[in-house]
Amino acid sequence: MLQYIGKRLLQSVLTLFIIITIVFSLLRLMPEEGYLGAAADKMSPAQQEIYLTNLGLRDPLLVQLGHFYNNLLQGDLGKSVTYRTDVPVVTIIGDKISYSLLFGLGAVALSLIIGVPLGIMMAYRKGRWLDRLGTGYIVFVVAVPAAVYYLVIQMYITDLFQLPMLFDEYRPITWILPLTSMALAPTASYAMWMRRYMVDELNKDYIKLARAKGVKERTLMFKHVLRNAFIPMAQYLPATILFTITGSIYIESLYSIPGMGGLLVDAIQRQDNTIVQGLVLVFSSLGIIGLILGDIAMALVDPRIKLGKGGGVR
Amino acid sequence: MTPKKSRILVIQNLVIQFTLRGRVLTAIRDISLDLYKGESLAIVGESGSGKSVLMKSIMGLLDKNGSIKQGRIIYNAQDLGQFTTEQEWLGIRGKEIAMVTQDPMTSLNPLKTIGKQIEECVVMHQGLKGKEAYEETLKLLTDVGITDVKKRYKQYPHEFSGGMRQRIVIAIAIACKPAILICDEPTTALDVTIQAQILQLLKNLQQKYGLSIVYITHDLGVVAKVADRIAVMYAGDVIEVGETHEIFFNSKHPYTWALISSLPQLGSKGEQLYSIKGTPPNLFQEINGDAFAPRNQYALKIDFIERPPFFQISDTHYARTWLLDPLAPKVDPPAALQAFFAEGRSYAND
Repeated sequence: MLQYIGKRLLQSVLTLFIIITIVFSLLRLMPEEGYLGAAADKMSPAQQEIYLTNLGLRDPLLVQLGHFYNNLLQGDLGKSVTYRTDVPVVTIIGDKISYSLLFGLGAVALSLIIGVPLGIMMAYRKGRWLDRLGTGYIVFVVAVPAAVYYLVIQMYITDLFQLPMLFDEYRPITWILPLTSMALAPTASYAMWMRRYMVDELNKDYIKLARAKGVKERTLMFKHVLRNAFIPMAQYLPATILFTITGSIYIESLYSIPGMGGLLVDAIQRQDNTIVQGLVLVFSSLGIIGLILGDIAMALVDPRIKLGKGGGVR
Repeated sequence: MTPKKSRILVIQNLVIQFTLRGRVLTAIRDISLDLYKGESLAIVGESGSGKSVLMKSIMGLLDKNGSIKQGRIIYNAQDLGQFTTEQEWLGIRGKEIAMVTQDPMTSLNPLKTIGKQIEECVVMHQGLKGKEAYEETLKLLTDVGITDVKKRYKQYPHEFSGGMRQRIVIAIAIACKPAILICDEPTTALDVTIQAQILQLLKNLQQKYGLSIVYITHDLGVVAKVADRIAVMYAGDVIEVGETHEIFFNSKHPYTWALISSLPQLGSKGEQLYSIKGTPPNLFQEINGDAFAPRNQYALKIDFIERPPFFQISDTHYARTWLLDPLAPKVDPPAALQAFFAEGRSYAND
């Protein structure tokens, strides 16, 4: 098991290394104004040249890359030129990430608590009214663009329940709407997957044999089917959880939450290279961690996966 | 003849219908069949003839859209056909009547150790717990011919071969010492050498535990090896029933003739294998007379009008065909079959 995790970690570090290198190279192809910021207009071309040389941008690319990695290992992602220039990028992202983390995890928890049992009940009562209701909900959420139902929430739900719209850290009541809005879509996905994998399992032969040997329908559902249906779930859950954590641009701007979602768009528009670099690093690490966790979770529940040998191939 | 054996399961005038998108399909048409204690009964027939539906109805495992419209299934002075709740069935299913399913590769839960899967049954039906249940499970594993049982107990289905898995499925079936074992195509998914081993195992277990076994199969080779009696099904009806040698070497129904004629062993080299012309009847429609009549070259006029009754040929041998009526013209089975019959009888007389 440890050997397997170690191997997966090593692979991930390599992947991360490649991603960072690519992002680093791409950003070097961008116009250099990205490093000058608002001060660009006030500098003469000669001054700009000196400024850029001091930043190390006139060094050969490989040397720059070396510096970049060296700093990265010390937890230094440089400073932003457009956004709070006195604070390291690490701090900026750190401040933002806590909001996204809070809402992301909250929404995931909410959607798991509602979505998974909903999916289970839908499969258990397949074809009955609960299943139809749930399917209707899933179809609605998947088919209607999120912007539409967010607007509906904004227009009607706020009035209906007298809930404040804009996020305020110190008033917990303002957390309700952003959390529910964020949880709407993942709830539908979890319910849909859970139902689907449960129904898949229910149609398998071993269920017929279990029935024939006299297992009660309820026992069958919760002891045989549920665990088996969790295997595909286990694989994808961590990745989707982390995806939610990275923050929703739309929701964060709608409820004016100072999270990570908007930062990337902002930074790209302002050509703030250091922030873009830092964010890409954070996003890709989260993605990779999600994949590893998924693989490990699956290996834990599925005995057919031989750990260590064969690299986790089924 | 041996003295009349006691009947363990009696099926009387059973009719089973399914509703599919508003249309009614009659899968079992007025079947009466007995199962004797300790015997092996083979139910043969082509796909869709209703063999599996019949067995599912005995275990209360019919799909939701199917139901018993008429008739009785009597086991142990209870009419299983009247059972409606899960609670009632749990007293029978697995406990009194157990089943060996068709495909051992997919019949076991891939995420539970085989030990746990057998033990589940032991705990459920024998009421054993902890160490006792464990010991019983090991004993069952030994019973079905598995060695190194303590190690095997902890292994998962994917660590077993097909034949081994079928042994596990059998162990699960006999875990609760059932009275009746239903084997639904027990060897179809296995290769020939393993088939023979599994059939031998079933025979041994039958003797050891005094099981009555029902084999559902379309493989006449299997039937010949294991069955005491054979019931031939066609289009939801039992059209001929008798002891194995009677069906193989003295059958009376043209469908049984056709079935035996299509054995590859009966064909001669270079000739096309025999196949039955036409298709089975549409079960959505009401069937008048003998269901096989439209494909039957010996069909009489009455075959299309009135369902033939069971004509008795011997104490144990009955067939539903008007050809046995005293008024019917005398019809001989096809020549190739006659030779086969004669050969078979000469073996029997030796």
